[in-house]
Amino acid sequence: MSNIKIKSKNLDVFYGDKQALFDVNLDLNEKEVTALIGPSGCGKSTFIRCINRMNDVIDICKVTGNIEMDGMDINDKNLDVVALREKVGMVFQKPNPFPKSIYDNISYGPKIHGKGETKSELDEIVENSLRKSALWEEVKDRLDEPGTSLSGGQQQRLCIARAISVNPEVILMDEPCSALDPIATAKIEELIDELKKTYTIVIVTHSMAQAVRVSQKTGFFHLGKLIEVGKTEKIFKNPDNKMTQDYITGRFG
Amino acid sequence: MNIVLIFLISIFSISLFFYGKSKTKTISIKDNIKLNALPKFYGYYLVLWCSIPALVFLLVWSLFEPTIIKSIIIETAANQGAVFNDKNEANLVYEKIKAIHLGTYFGDIDSILKESALAYAKFINLFTNSKVVLIFGIIIASVVYSLKKIRNNNKARDDVEVILKGLLFVSSLIAILTTLGIIFSLLFESIKFFSVINIFDYLFGTNWSPQRAFVRDASSITAAEYEELKDAFGFIPLIAGTSFIAFIAMLVAVPVGLFSGIYMAEYASTKVRRVSKPIIEILAGIPTVVYGFFAALTVGPFFRQVGENLGLTVSSESALAAGLIMGIMIIPYVSSLSDDVINSVPQSLRDGSYAVGATKSETIKQVVIPAALPGIIGSVLLAVSRAIGETMIVVMAAGLAANLTINPLESTTTITTQIVMILVGDQEFDSPKTQSAFALGLTLFIATLVLNYIAQRAVKKYREKYD
Repeated sequence: MSNIKIKSKNLDVFYGDKQALFDVNLDLNEKEVTALIGPSGCGKSTFIRCINRMNDVIDICKVTGNIEMDGMDINDKNLDVVALREKVGMVFQKPNPFPKSIYDNISYGPKIHGKGETKSELDEIVENSLRKSALWEEVKDRLDEPGTSLSGGQQQRLCIARAISVNPEVILMDEPCSALDPIATAKIEELIDELKKTYTIVIVTHSMAQAVRVSQKTGFFHLGKLIEVGKTEKIFKNPDNKMTQDYITGRFG
Repeated sequence: MNIVLIFLISIFSISLFFYGKSKTKTISIKDNIKLNALPKFYGYYLVLWCSIPALVFLLVWSLFEPTIIKSIIIETAANQGAVFNDKNEANLVYEKIKAIHLGTYFGDIDSILKESALAYAKFINLFTNSKVVLIFGIIIASVVYSLKKIRNNNKARDDVEVILKGLLFVSSLIAILTTLGIIFSLLFESIKFFSVINIFDYLFGTNWSPQRAFVRDASSITAAEYEELKDAFGFIPLIAGTSFIAFIAMLVAVPVGLFSGIYMAEYASTKVRRVSKPIIEILAGIPTVVYGFFAALTVGPFFRQVGENLGLTVSSESALAAGLIMGIMIIPYVSSLSDDVINSVPQSLRDGSYAVGATKSETIKQVVIPAALPGIIGSVLLAVSRAIGETMIVVMAAGLAANLTINPLESTTTITTQIVMILVGDQEFDSPKTQSAFALGLTLFIATLVLNYIAQRAVKKYREKYD
């Protein structure tokens, strides 16, 4: 059994008066892929946005309860959010490269955190990040071109490269393949398999098949509650909860 | 008379609407026909048929009636022995005849004038009567025609659509033609000006003093006179003054406007935004003449006072005062346009930046502003063209002397101010002085057109990128 990287206990999230997460207790294992499944609006994305405090951006959002990473309280008011986000990278549903060159898209994060002081160090970080995201061979001759000129799948891998450029410990992926075609999706899944050797990964997905292919652990959310969590194999073959059974067999959702 | 006619036509049309509607209903019930359109469409159909031909006829008639009457009267007067040496004399006699008819002529009336006035009265009467008769004839004919169409189960709905489309087309045509008319009148008058003053003397001359050409007749300028004139219409001091004041204005408006736009878009809470945005936009609603006297009476003297205390000579009408106030006037344009542009930068870009650990100001500086830059440049260019075209503030606060200077404390002048100066008071339309206003107008028009075009291209390109 691997170590627990992130631990949430009695986590509640409110958007204004509306409660989005109810008492979520979920442990994420280190260097493993955890998939979160469930119908739209069930709180999967809300949950992963608690891990890097992205919910701070939304004024009306309030998080209570406990969530820890390596024993550190993520919800602590005095926590340095910048340092947290350096450790917890994020990839979004829609590829969102900055309107900058491919090179600048990757070097943006390291520069902000004061990494890569010389040009050659920065070059190295960029090359490593692009290699890890399996994009290097495709873009090495056109690092000056705008990131937006790449195809959708390439843009998403660029965003993954951007996330790993600051050398995080955890990568959060919010439906990273929902805007991509099957070929680009296959490439990203391959990449996730590779990345889990180095990083703890949480992926929100609407595709059961994807969850089965990439994850070791799966959590099923419904209406803001974590219904069931366990080894991916077990969840998909022999779930304990009837609701989970109904969802994965397509009876609702 | 015309107003009465128009009123009658309207009344008639409105009553026809109701008549047509009820008539259609009765027809469809009585004869048990299913008509092709709702009764109200037949109502509209009748209204359009009743009013448009009559109104068009009235318009055309009113356009030509005076000319026709005039030529008839002048001919009658000539037949009775009046002698006209040229057109002007004929016009004068015609005006006299008209005045006699109206009872407002107090000079001597000879027999020719008297006879002609009687003839004039006769013709006016005749024309008016025939106008009324013809209009009613037209109305009756078109109503009969259109009522018959209703019986024929005509597709009134389609016809109404076609006629309405035509009306809308005519409206847009009027707007386009007026614009074209203005451009051509600028162009032709400018050509007249440039046939007297060499275009290169105008574009590259460094002295502007058009008063020198006040009484000259453009058609008879000798070579010696031209030598004297040629350096009176130098455009350089005006474009320099205009750019200079616009530059000072932008120095004020761009930073303040941009920063307030950023604050509104990124930092202000919805509450603050809801209150402060309209307040900033009120600045745009203040009439420019108010800014003008504020600049001339408050800011200008204040600068002079401060200058005196510092031992500087400051003219009470200075480029600085005008530019500063103009800048304040333009702030809302820059701020509200850049606010819109920044708001339309997708949230996903900001999220991407926050997710790698950037702070808010880093995100704004390195991601949001670069993404919004084309749009911001567009808004600034629109503001520049606004500054260049602004008249009232500079007329009141910047002075009239065309100094070629880069000292913001001296008075300077702009293209628009000079156009005002040239066209105020008595004018002779064939003097190069007057015509130079058109040349200035044309130059200004081209400059702002180019700026607007570039700005709109920039904004459009920006939109395409994110839509």
